[in-house]
Amino acid sequence: MVQFHEQIITELLEDTNGGLVILSSGLALCKLISSFISLHHSSQGSLLILSASLSQKSQISYHLLDHAAQNPNPNSDHPVTVTPAEITSDLPAQNRYSLYSSGGVSFITSRILIVDLLTSKLPTSLLAGVVILNAHLLSETCTEAFIVRIVRSLNKNVCVRAFSDRPQAMVSGFAKAERIMKSLFIRKLHLWPRFQVYVSQELESDPPEVVDIRIPMSKYMMGIQKAIIEVMDACLKEMRKTNKVDVEDLTVENGLFKSFDEIVRKQLDPIWHTLGKKTKQLVTDLKTLRKLLDYLVRYDAVTYLKYLDSLRASESFRSVWIFAESSYKIFDYAKKRVYRLMRSDGVRLSVVDNGKLSKKRKVKDINNEAIGEANSNVTVEEVLEEPPKWKVLRDVLEEIEQHRQQKDQAGEDHSEQDSGYGTVLVACKDERTCMQLEDSIKHDPSNVMHDEWEKYLLSKVELQSLNTRKKKDAKQPKGIGMLNGVAPVTVGQNSEGSIINKQERDALLAAASRFTNLKKIDTDGGDVLEKEARSGGIGRGRGRGKSIGKSSNGSNTRTRSKKREADNLTAEDMRNRKPDSEEEQKNETEMAAVSGFTRSTEGKYSDKPVLRQHSYEAEVTDAINAKPLPPIHFHALETQQEILDFLKPSVIIVYHPDMTFVREIEVYKAENPSIKVKVYFLFYEDSTEVQKFEASIRRENSAFESLIRQKSIMMIPIDQEEQCLGLNSAVDPLGLSLQNSVTRKAGGRKDAEKEMQVIVDMREFMSSLPNVLHQKGMRIIPVTLEVGDYILSPLICVERKSIQDLFMSFASGRLYHQAEMMTRYYRIPVLLIEFSQDKSFSFQSASDIGDDVTPYNITSKLSLLVLHFPRLRILWSRSLHATAEIFASLKANQDEPDLAKATRVGVPSENGIVESDVRAENYNTSAVEFLRRLPGVTDANYRTIMDGCKSLAELALLPVEKLAQLMGGPKAAKTLRDFLDAKYPTLV
Amino acid sequence: SAVQSTQYRNAILVSNRQKGNPLLKYIRNVRWNFAEIMCDYLLGQSTCALYLSLRYHLLHPDYLYYRIRELQKNFKLRIILCHVDVEDVVKPLLEVTRTALLHDCTLLCAWSLEECGRYLETIKVYEKKPADLIQGQMDTDYISRISHALTSIRHVNKTDVVTLGSTFGSLSHIMDASMEDLARCPGIGERKVKRLYDTFHEPFRRAV
Repeated sequence: MVQFHEQIITELLEDTNGGLVILSSGLALCKLISSFISLHHSSQGSLLILSASLSQKSQISYHLLDHAAQNPNPNSDHPVTVTPAEITSDLPAQNRYSLYSSGGVSFITSRILIVDLLTSKLPTSLLAGVVILNAHLLSETCTEAFIVRIVRSLNKNVCVRAFSDRPQAMVSGFAKAERIMKSLFIRKLHLWPRFQVYVSQELESDPPEVVDIRIPMSKYMMGIQKAIIEVMDACLKEMRKTNKVDVEDLTVENGLFKSFDEIVRKQLDPIWHTLGKKTKQLVTDLKTLRKLLDYLVRYDAVTYLKYLDSLRASESFRSVWIFAESSYKIFDYAKKRVYRLMRSDGVRLSVVDNGKLSKKRKVKDINNEAIGEANSNVTVEEVLEEPPKWKVLRDVLEEIEQHRQQKDQAGEDHSEQDSGYGTVLVACKDERTCMQLEDSIKHDPSNVMHDEWEKYLLSKVELQSLNTRKKKDAKQPKGIGMLNGVAPVTVGQNSEGSIINKQERDALLAAASRFTNLKKIDTDGGDVLEKEARSGGIGRGRGRGKSIGKSSNGSNTRTRSKKREADNLTAEDMRNRKPDSEEEQKNETEMAAVSGFTRSTEGKYSDKPVLRQHSYEAEVTDAINAKPLPPIHFHALETQQEILDFLKPSVIIVYHPDMTFVREIEVYKAENPSIKVKVYFLFYEDSTEVQKFEASIRRENSAFESLIRQKSIMMIPIDQEEQCLGLNSAVDPLGLSLQNSVTRKAGGRKDAEKEMQVIVDMREFMSSLPNVLHQKGMRIIPVTLEVGDYILSPLICVERKSIQDLFMSFASGRLYHQAEMMTRYYRIPVLLIEFSQDKSFSFQSASDIGDDVTPYNITSKLSLLVLHFPRLRILWSRSLHATAEIFASLKANQDEPDLAKATRVGVPSENGIVESDVRAENYNTSAVEFLRRLPGVTDANYRTIMDGCKSLAELALLPVEKLAQLMGGPKAAKTLRDFLDAKYPTLV
Repeated sequence: SAVQSTQYRNAILVSNRQKGNPLLKYIRNVRWNFAEIMCDYLLGQSTCALYLSLRYHLLHPDYLYYRIRELQKNFKLRIILCHVDVEDVVKPLLEVTRTALLHDCTLLCAWSLEECGRYLETIKVYEKKPADLIQGQMDTDYISRISHALTSIRHVNKTDVVTLGSTFGSLSHIMDASMEDLARCPGIGERKVKRLYDTFHEPFRRAV
């Protein structure tokens, strides 16, 4: 345990009222929490942990186990289970009760906790404390605040402690930290930035050795990066012209972050409906561009191109950026990193060399001629640029191994830490990079590239409908090319340039069909070569983060390596001679070597798998290069596992720089002073990657500075407890209302005379409305409702829709169905359209309305709904609080709703479904929604389908006969089966 | 008179009270005529509408109530078309909402005169239209349908649909894909992989 953790805990325990802890990211929050939990004793009462993410849960449990193993406590008379129990709605009510009263520690979801509190299933007197994680996600109206308010009103001694390691998120919005603290009735704020003196002292006393490696990006990568930034800049300029946003925040640097969208959206949301299409499009474009920049350094050339292709196919024709001059370069360079067009006589067709218009035209002419003469003349030549980091990574690894062997020979004694010393940890952002790197290290990088290339080409076969659709779109150049004021030119250019011309497409298709043919042969015959290849150990290791053992480069390959040594030498020579066209050269030599090789060995399969040959060849080169490598573990930062403690590595390669991970390394080093840690950073020189990394640190620091300032002027009333009680007494949960009705303070509230009740569907506890209704003094009764979300009276049933929900459920037809049900069972069915407080109070801007009545406009849909359900009432609410007021006013002269009746409504009794509390939890709602959107699936048959097969994955495999049984007819079954099996049209 | 009645059937009838309302400028897709009627706009045999500007309501809070009382009961659908033309809407809107609900009127809000006009037009034009537009039928081409299905999963966007489709070849292959294969798709991060996988592999009904 690091010392500053101890200090944090000591400070936190001083105040029995609780506190909010904010620390820098990467400072082992989960360890801190588990140390804190391990101090808990069951005699104090139960401890509930709220809103922990999955990975946080597993980390906390892991550390608790670790802790227990290290400090066995013989005095403990309570052999409390070490890891916290998990309370979800799957757990039956009695079990939940026994956990609540056990005095143990449990993870719990806020939804089930609030429901149990409201239905008095939780004995609050037995509760010692509540720990809330991810405090930055809280707000005044969130369910957690609701929970704390009720808990506190029932048991004042419950201690609430909240944690967050996302300081940046704590400063978004006005006095956010203060408001969160108030809503949790916490008075103390503890700030622990990385620059805090204890923290920095401890982490910097014996820091790990750092090697910073800057790798230049390839020419085309630089080009793409420059082009993207240019386009971003142009988009930002356009944005400034709109005069709708604060200019100061709009810098490209900010554009590199996620928070940029937030900055812009926050400014624009309240006036969103007054914006033109163009501005809205700019906002989305900026987001897309930021992603492109990020992927540039993360993906290999082929994958990047594939992503661009997908993007182009899916992006709406309104996109501004796609038609900008510089965007053309993005596509062009991305393509050049992957392939070139060649005439079969060997002359390279340089399609548009440096993006200048005049040249382009010329080339175009040449192309046309070429088409005229002989269409099949053009072939695709692979370039397949490898990410520059790959080679460097390999070099670093080799160097590490060399060092190690030298040390071994020197006979140094490090047998104790050997287990950790051996493995090198390579940390990258995502799983995908892990797998790729593993492949590229284990085999040959070019092999990996070829794999991607093959996949890319295969996905291009059978281009169809998408492409034709795109063309139609391109014909109506609405809102195109406002950038740089060169609209007419860019439009023209677009139709020629950015949609790949026919010739190129044909060439790609030819290349692709070569692969498909090969595949066919592969699967047809009993393939000797393939078998051989497999037994040769080419089988790709797909295991997650699997370590490569030392033996993989063992001696069995070495014999073969000698045989090929001569060839390799020449290859090396050629590489050195022409560094500029290195890739090309390498490819050619490889090709030559390959064809020669096959001819000699497998004469009868003369036109056989290019790919196979490559992988074979790859193995050969692999074996030649084979300088020994250390065992490697690839780790994806995304998975958020605490790899460092588990692996105890002494060499760490940070493949993708990440602030949080760097801090984790520091903490790891501080905790394990005996291990000598060496860290390699791989940065792309002059890349946005570096800027992003540095700026993330700056941003965190300034967030803390602002929090420190806020803390100094914070005003938290001491008597807020009283206020909260005063408010609550009118509205206690079931069973306690009698007692409280005596002590209740009137507080001048008129409507307190009558206790209002609202029956609320369980699913609605995801939203904040129940909390706000409760704040308003209504009693909330949670149940599972089949019809409606809120029952205000025996007559009034309300279906609540946020704006987003409204659009979605119009599209899916759900709203129609819900309106139908409500109308059937209630005298006053109500649709509540709830706008968000900080977004605009309107559906659309005047400019979006258009000239005609169009079926897909929200106005049309709403009109149609109104016409078909004349009895349906519509409530328009500005905000949550406005909704609460409307509800109160509607209930004023109505009877209170009948609980038993409300739950029975709409329940299909004939098929014998047993109604229970947790019905809503019992469905995989996402799967059900997906299922209902499939063709052939209707309201009438989706239930039987769910009865007849377990999951969607199972459904995907059912034969049509079985489907016919489930769907009540062969026609629907065929529709569905055909849809499932339909070949997805690929694009070029 | 026969001529007149067909004319009436295809046009919105506008009360003389509405003379001078700038809203009339925006009824452009449907013909309209002034007539002696109780409601402000007669949109069909049993559909009528009252127009209310929130600003006016603030000046004359009782106006709406009296107008509703005048309406005969023989309308199936009684619309209050509320023009939201004030900044501070919460209180006046609450009053209007309450009045509408208690007197069997359907409230529609619009934020501009164009939008008001569009509501009137649409309701007239759609008088006899079936509801299939809002019953979940949509474009029937393959791409729209597969997008429609896949984007029901949270965080999955249209680009992801293209990526998934071109990687796996068909929907059934997507639904049957392993977590690893999903993770290999560009643009599909950990969170999306998990959502996709759970949607496909978790049972429809969870074990109790």
